[in-house]
Amino acid sequence: MTYKVDNISEIKTYLKELKKYSQYDFCEYSDSSIYRRINKVLVDHKLSLDELMDKTRTDSLFVENIVQEITVNTTEFFRDPGIWHELYSRHFVPLKKKNVVNVWHAGCSSGQEVYSNNVILSEMGLLDKSRIVATDLNNKMLKDAKKGEYNHRYNMKIIDNFNAVINKKKLADKVRFDKYFEFQEDKDIIKVRDFLKENVDFKRHDLVKGELNSYQKFDVIFCRNVLIYFNASLQSRILKRFHDQLTNGGMLILGNHEGLTGFFKTRFIKNGPVFIKNNAFHFEY
Amino acid sequence: MIDNKKYKAVVIGGSAGSFSVVSKILSKIDPGFSIPVIICLHRLKHVRSGLVEGLNIKSNIKVVEPNDKDHISGNRAYLAPSNYHLFIEYDNTFHLSTEEPMNHSRPAIDHTFSSAAQTYRDKVLGIILTGANKDGASGLKDIHDKNGTTIIQDPDSCDIDTMTKAALKLFRPDHVLTPEKIADYLNQLAV
Repeated sequence: MTYKVDNISEIKTYLKELKKYSQYDFCEYSDSSIYRRINKVLVDHKLSLDELMDKTRTDSLFVENIVQEITVNTTEFFRDPGIWHELYSRHFVPLKKKNVVNVWHAGCSSGQEVYSNNVILSEMGLLDKSRIVATDLNNKMLKDAKKGEYNHRYNMKIIDNFNAVINKKKLADKVRFDKYFEFQEDKDIIKVRDFLKENVDFKRHDLVKGELNSYQKFDVIFCRNVLIYFNASLQSRILKRFHDQLTNGGMLILGNHEGLTGFFKTRFIKNGPVFIKNNAFHFEY
Repeated sequence: MIDNKKYKAVVIGGSAGSFSVVSKILSKIDPGFSIPVIICLHRLKHVRSGLVEGLNIKSNIKVVEPNDKDHISGNRAYLAPSNYHLFIEYDNTFHLSTEEPMNHSRPAIDHTFSSAAQTYRDKVLGIILTGANKDGASGLKDIHDKNGTTIIQDPDSCDIDTMTKAALKLFRPDHVLTPEKIADYLNQLAV
């Protein structure tokens, strides 16, 4: 027996029900992506779409669990080390002039990039004056992120990547990995040291729903490999909000193979891996 | 060997030994070949870059690594970027994903092939090349099941024939061809 649904419109009907019976709105996720994720849920739980519909209406705990399966939570320490090295050695240098550095990690998942960035900020002497907000849709992920404990076997590249970012081309005075992380090899655990966690505010926020309530604008927004799961119109709405919430000259950092779609191409200037907020409104007409 | 079907895309998957085969096919393809060619190759994890440059040296059509949401155009070869799955969307754009590896691979050929089958139905030509695991076999079967056309590299011409044999176990492909014949086949396709 097959549990898969072949028709995207049936899946969209389900998404509307999910939206009605929970706080989760996946209606504007990219079609092929949501099609595949929902089908994966059906197969893994051996449910027909009607059965999934019923459980969604009646069992809120079940909904929390499947939402975690629908969303993609993959993340790594210093994913694409070349980019992190560029941020460290070049793009973040002007932040030294600021009194306070405000950073938002939008869609932080289990937190690896939050701590990757904090290592960089610390090496640059910026961590003490940084205020970091890290948000995710998923409470379980936020809990894991806050804890800052990871299995080494799922984060195998952490030490190599750390060296590629922080110790690149250094012959002497290399920064030791254990300055930032406690590696318990026998237990397969890597613990983020407490001082890296201190100025991070982890909180729940759904990018689909609207703005992040924040008193200050951000100098840096990280949103790496999150927008790829959304359709173009939702992407462009979120990019507008990012633009609104960045300081002038603020930096938006997307994933390696993400670009700006539509209108907002003209509102940012691309410089290497960084999209810089551009306030030249006269381009618009 | 005349194939008059008007294809919307050619999808190619390969693993161990496939770089030189893809390079050979792209070097023999007509410079005016107008059907989009979408390629998913397994990469060695520590060799993340250089593959697209390597293919461009000999290729007669431009090879690029697409960004998410890029429109799929003809006279181009697209290579799945390292560490992302590459999917084809219903609106003929690419979708990249960082979701869990499949068959120990990201990119996974099965994902690219299955989404091509879903989007293009019978208007896709799927080709599986040499490789040391079974990724791609079930995706190619999806193409076959939707009445797309399937080609398997002749196992005798493969460096490692695990991948092609895995596909042969699942279904009977339309053609079993050597790399030279695959290039010839592509060049006679109707535009």
